[in-house]
Formats: sequence, structure tokens, C-alpha cells
Amino acid sequence: MNVIELENITKTFGSVKAVDSLSLGVPKGSIYGFIGPNGSGKTTTLRMIMNIFYPDSGDIKVFDQKLNDRVKDRIGYLPEERGLYQKMKVRELLQFYGELKSGHKVDKDVDYWLERLDLTEWANKKVETLSKGMSQKVQIIATIVAKPELIILDEPFTGLDPVNAEAIRDMVLDLRSRGATIIFSTHDMSVAEKMCDFIFMIFKGKKVLDGTLASIQAEYGSDTLRITTEAGATAVKDLEGVERVSDFGRMQELRVEPDYDHQKILAAIMSRTRILGFELTKPTLHDIFIRIAGPEAKENHYA
Amino acid sequence: MRKILRIAKREYKTSVRTKGFIIALVLMPVMMGGSGLAMYLFQGQVDTRDKQVIILDQSGIVADVIMRAAEARNHAEVMDKETGKKVKAAWVFERIEPDLSDPTAQRLALSDRIRNGEIHAFLEIGPNVKHPETDWDTARMAYYAKNAALDTVRGWLSSSINIYLRKARLEEAGVEAEKAEAALAWLEVAPLGLVSLDDAGQIKEAKRSSEAQAILGPIILFFLFFMMIMMGAMPQLQSVMEEKSQRIAEVLLGSIKPFEFMAGKVLGGLAVSMTAASVYVVGGVFIMKRLGLADYVPYHILPWFFAYLVLAIVMFGSILAALGATCNDAKDAQNLTFPAMIPVFIPMFLLMPVIQEPSSSFATALSLFPPFTPMLMLLRISAPVGIPMWQPWVGLIGVIIFALLSIWAGGRIFRMAILLQGQPPKLSNILRWAFRG
Repeated sequence: MNVIELENITKTFGSVKAVDSLSLGVPKGSIYGFIGPNGSGKTTTLRMIMNIFYPDSGDIKVFDQKLNDRVKDRIGYLPEERGLYQKMKVRELLQFYGELKSGHKVDKDVDYWLERLDLTEWANKKVETLSKGMSQKVQIIATIVAKPELIILDEPFTGLDPVNAEAIRDMVLDLRSRGATIIFSTHDMSVAEKMCDFIFMIFKGKKVLDGTLASIQAEYGSDTLRITTEAGATAVKDLEGVERVSDFGRMQELRVEPDYDHQKILAAIMSRTRILGFELTKPTLHDIFIRIAGPEAKENHYA
Repeated sequence: MRKILRIAKREYKTSVRTKGFIIALVLMPVMMGGSGLAMYLFQGQVDTRDKQVIILDQSGIVADVIMRAAEARNHAEVMDKETGKKVKAAWVFERIEPDLSDPTAQRLALSDRIRNGEIHAFLEIGPNVKHPETDWDTARMAYYAKNAALDTVRGWLSSSINIYLRKARLEEAGVEAEKAEAALAWLEVAPLGLVSLDDAGQIKEAKRSSEAQAILGPIILFFLFFMMIMMGAMPQLQSVMEEKSQRIAEVLLGSIKPFEFMAGKVLGGLAVSMTAASVYVVGGVFIMKRLGLADYVPYHILPWFFAYLVLAIVMFGSILAALGATCNDAKDAQNLTFPAMIPVFIPMFLLMPVIQEPSSSFATALSLFPPFTPMLMLLRISAPVGIPMWQPWVGLIGVIIFALLSIWAGGRIFRMAILLQGQPPKLSNILRWAFRG
């Protein structure tokens, strides 16, 4: 069963089509990653799911019904641009958000999450005294404290140090294990690869990727050659059959032209230097993202 | 409704728990009654140094009269009979001969003495003051001082000299001194209200209408009303702008509808101003009773006061919250504050004309214009002159309709503008959002 069903939704601001005929289904209990460059339509899509923006055309169903107040109370939403009442105390603020969403007291849940994210000693301090990372954690608690069944997080990991990012990651996985469906947008491709059951990419308002990581990678085939040589980047310059070289210093990643024989490329490199290691692999999500949205995308048929 | 109330509760608690609210609660009546209180407290703080005034009397009859009257006045008023302390300045008059050959030079010399602080003023009395009808130019009296227009000596002189001259003229016409005194008796016209029937059907004598009742009561209520609008509705513009610019709005919109957001804020502001108004009204009634002024408490106006206040806060609060949603930063809010306050300030400018003639067609028409109705109709109801009873009711209905329109239009503007970043508030956009959504 899909928790969210988008059917041909379109949203235009002035002359700009922010979202163009987008259809999407988010299965219950999944973690769904939204990726896409800045300004591609991610936030607009999330805002339409939250009924903050209304689509110009198309249908949105959440929990199998048209978006309404009761449905909205079952959704936790962390917007990309987030703010907190600076003068409120942390516990009071979380109680306020929790009660607003759930309609009942959430004191126990507030204390549980404060303790779990190491914020108990800040509970009676004003929000303005918190560091950026702590504020972000408070914001995320405010999103989930009313135990929503669907959680929408717009860039939840932005601005967090690795320790806090890890804590939030654990929290997201824990919420999923309790039955929640989670959608989050991110620019961190490795996070999306590791955490998401499904990945959806939007570019210039249109859906360009949608599926599991494996299915997306399968579309591109094993066209990536990762290679380590004694000569480094100079050994892979101007090779026949190579579309693009990404130089990571000690390692270079070559995108092989479709149907070109990898062995020929390896032979050419061996004629230039000693190969220390190589791997024929599928493209990473990062690479796929660059191929679609990067400036070098020659066959940019999405534009 | 639950969400609106939760937002309102937060707004209310945030406002009334601040030191600013407590200070404003205390300072507001101090500021409102401050000038009156200051006048009362400092009325005894007068300059008790003697004031010397030179008289240049060409008539030859007035100077002596003045000096005798001044002596009597000094004897009666300068020293406090009980404490023996000097409480007023003694006025010391000295006659010198007018220099008829060069009066201008004499005036300059005396003016210099005033500048040097040697004397307080000098008075010129024309030769013909007893019979001014024969030649007004020579009947001229002139008082020269640093601040002649507001000088209390001048007022006293004018009155003393004229009383004497009238008597002298009557005596000259053959009227005996006693009869002249009686002929010049001055009577005040007593200001009275209307005679009415009491609960037992007995005729009640009219009450003396004091200035306090005629002007002070309505003005206090009017200013209290104004202050409550400033406290309950005006902060909406700044507050919504901050919630938008600090990105709190979108977080809230994940849980509530824009209309609920706006309505909660307006309701919170309403609760704040109702709290303050209740404190002032209850406190005011208590103080007036303690001071023995219970008769002056306008109980019949209080229901109108609160009814109009609720509607005014809803009306102005919705519009201001919507305007706040169109602002991106403090500068935008600052630019909109003045135009937004115009409907509240115009009744302030109309205060005196309306209070002097509450039944005029000018006052009636303006008080039936919904944005002005709460303040001006309240002023007219609280004035001692009765107004037709249908007018406050019609005004009330007009304000209810206008308040509903404000909520409707404000809600539409708020919904469109609250998440729109980077666009300065333009009248064309605001109108488009209000009417087209």
C-alpha cells in the first residue's frame, strides 16, 4: 500500500514550472530519498504533499485520502528553512509543537527524545542558547514527538557534525522500525545510497529517477572503471572509449562508453604504466546525479 | 478550533509573561494620567520670588488703584496663613513718571532692566482709559514682559483695572458706589445634565455636569481603547513578520492551516488586550469608588467598550497580521507600520470635534464608517450628550461585517504571502491576493 500517491501534479510560479506532471507512489514503511539539485522542485513537491502549496493540477492522496486536517495531523514535517521560537524554553517548545499536532499532552515523549539526543540538561534553557546542531536536533524532535505515521524531512542532515548526523540517522531508522514511513531530501548521495529503500530524483520539475538503488544503477549498467596506477591521472588521459574521467587523487574513475570493451582500456593503461588495482562497477548515485544534473551532461534531454 | 486555541494560548502566555507587558501595564496609566498628575503634584511649585512691575500711568488714576489692589492681594495670598510659609510671589508695583518727550527710549531702558533681571515687567496706561470711546488710541494699555502672553500678572491687571474703571464710569454717571457694585455682579451659568425619573418613578434633579464628566471621562475611555488596540493588534505586524523571516511560519504550517495560524495570533492578541483592559477597568472602578466618585463610573458604557474592543482587535489584528505576512524583514514592517496605523490615528485627530459636538452629522457619519466606528462611536456614547440608540447598534453591525471581511481578506493575503520570500510588499499584490486569492 502506498502512503503517498502523486498523480500528474503540476505547480507553476509565475512563468516558472516548479513541478511538471509529477507522479509518485511512496510505499508504507519505506524510507524514500528525494534528491535533485537546488531549485529542482523538491521542496515545492514536499510543500504540496503538506498542503502548504496547492497544485495547479493533478491529485495528491495521503493515506489513501485527499489531504485534509486529520491526515495532516498524521504527518510530521521538517521544512528545509527551519526556525524555532528563540525565547521559548526547549521543553515548552517541544510540548507546544507536540500538542499542536496531536491534541494531547506529549510530556513523556518530549522527555524521552530529549534524553535520547542528549538534550535533557538543555530542557529548561531558552532555544536561543542552543548551538546550531542542538537547535537542529530540537527541530527534528519537534517533528516526530507527536508520533506521526509519515515523516517528511527536508534536508535533515544539513549542518550536523558526524556525531549528530549519526544520532539522527539512528533515530530515522528506529522510527522506520516502529512502522513510520519516511521521506527525506538530501544532497548527500552517500546517505541516500545507504539509508533509502527508494530514491527519487527530480530535475527541473520533472521526475528523472525513481526506484531502488539497484534498479537505478541497473539502468546504467556496469560502465564504471575504478583504477589505481603508479602514474595516477596522467595514465588515463585521452583514452579511447572513455567518456569521462573523475580524478580522486590516488584513484581515478572512468566512465566507459556503452558497448566498449573494458579490456581494451585496461590494455591501453598497462601500456602506459603499472596498474595497482582496478574494479569494474556500477555508477554511484553521486555519479548518476552528476550525469543528469551536471554541466557536462551532453545528452541533457531533461532540460 | 483546538489548534487556533493552542496558538492563541502560546501567544498569550508569551506576551503576558514578559517584563515588557507588566511594565506597559503599569506605565500606560502613568503616561496617560501623567500630565494631570504632574500638574497636580507640581501645582505648588511656583516661583515665590517677588515680582516688581513698573507702572507708567498717564491717566493718573489707575496706578494707585493697582498698588492698593496688589497690596490686598499680597496680604491675602502670599503667605500661607497656617504654616506661615511664603507660597506665592508678592507683586510689587512702582510708579514712575512716563517720559512723554521720548517714550520709545524709556521703553527700551525699561526693557533692558527686565532683561537684566532687575524688574519683572512694566505697564503703560494711556491717558484716556476712563473714556476710551472718545479716543481708543489714547486709551491703550500695554504690558511688557519676557513672556507677556502667559503672564499671570497681566491677567490679574486686566481684570483689576477694568473692574475699577467700570465702577468709576458708573459713579461718574451718578450711580452710587454700592449700586455700581451690585450692577457689576457677575453670575455663572451652571452646567446641568437632564432631569429624569428614578426607579421609584420620582423626579430626580439634574446633576451638575462637570468638565470631568463632559470631557475627561470620554477621553480616558477613548485613550484606554486606543492603547488596547496598540497592545493587542499593533504587535501582530511585527510578530508575524518575525515568524516569517525566522522561518517559524513554515514549521507551524506543517501542523496548521494558514488561517488557523492567523486566527490563533489574533485571538492571542485579543486575550492580551482583554486582560489589560479588565485590569484597568476593574482598577479604575475600584479607585473611583474609593475616591467617592462612584457616580461618575460609566457602567452603561462598559459593555459597548468591550464589544467594540473585541471587534476592533479582530478587525485590525487580521489586517495587520496579513500585512505582517507580506513583509520580509524589519524594514518592510517599518514601512508598513505607518499606513497600517492610519485607521487608528484618524479618530485621534477627530477627538475634539467629535467630543464637542457628538450629535453633529459630521460626527455621526464618521462614527458609522466601520474602521472608525469602535473609537468614535464609543466616544459619542460616553459623551454626556445622548445619541440615538440605533446608532451604536448600526455601528456595531457595520463593524461586525467589516471585521468578518477583514478576517476573510486577511486570511487570503496571509495564506499567499506567509511563505513568499524576497518579494517586497506591494499594494497591487496585496489587493490581488485579497480579492483573487
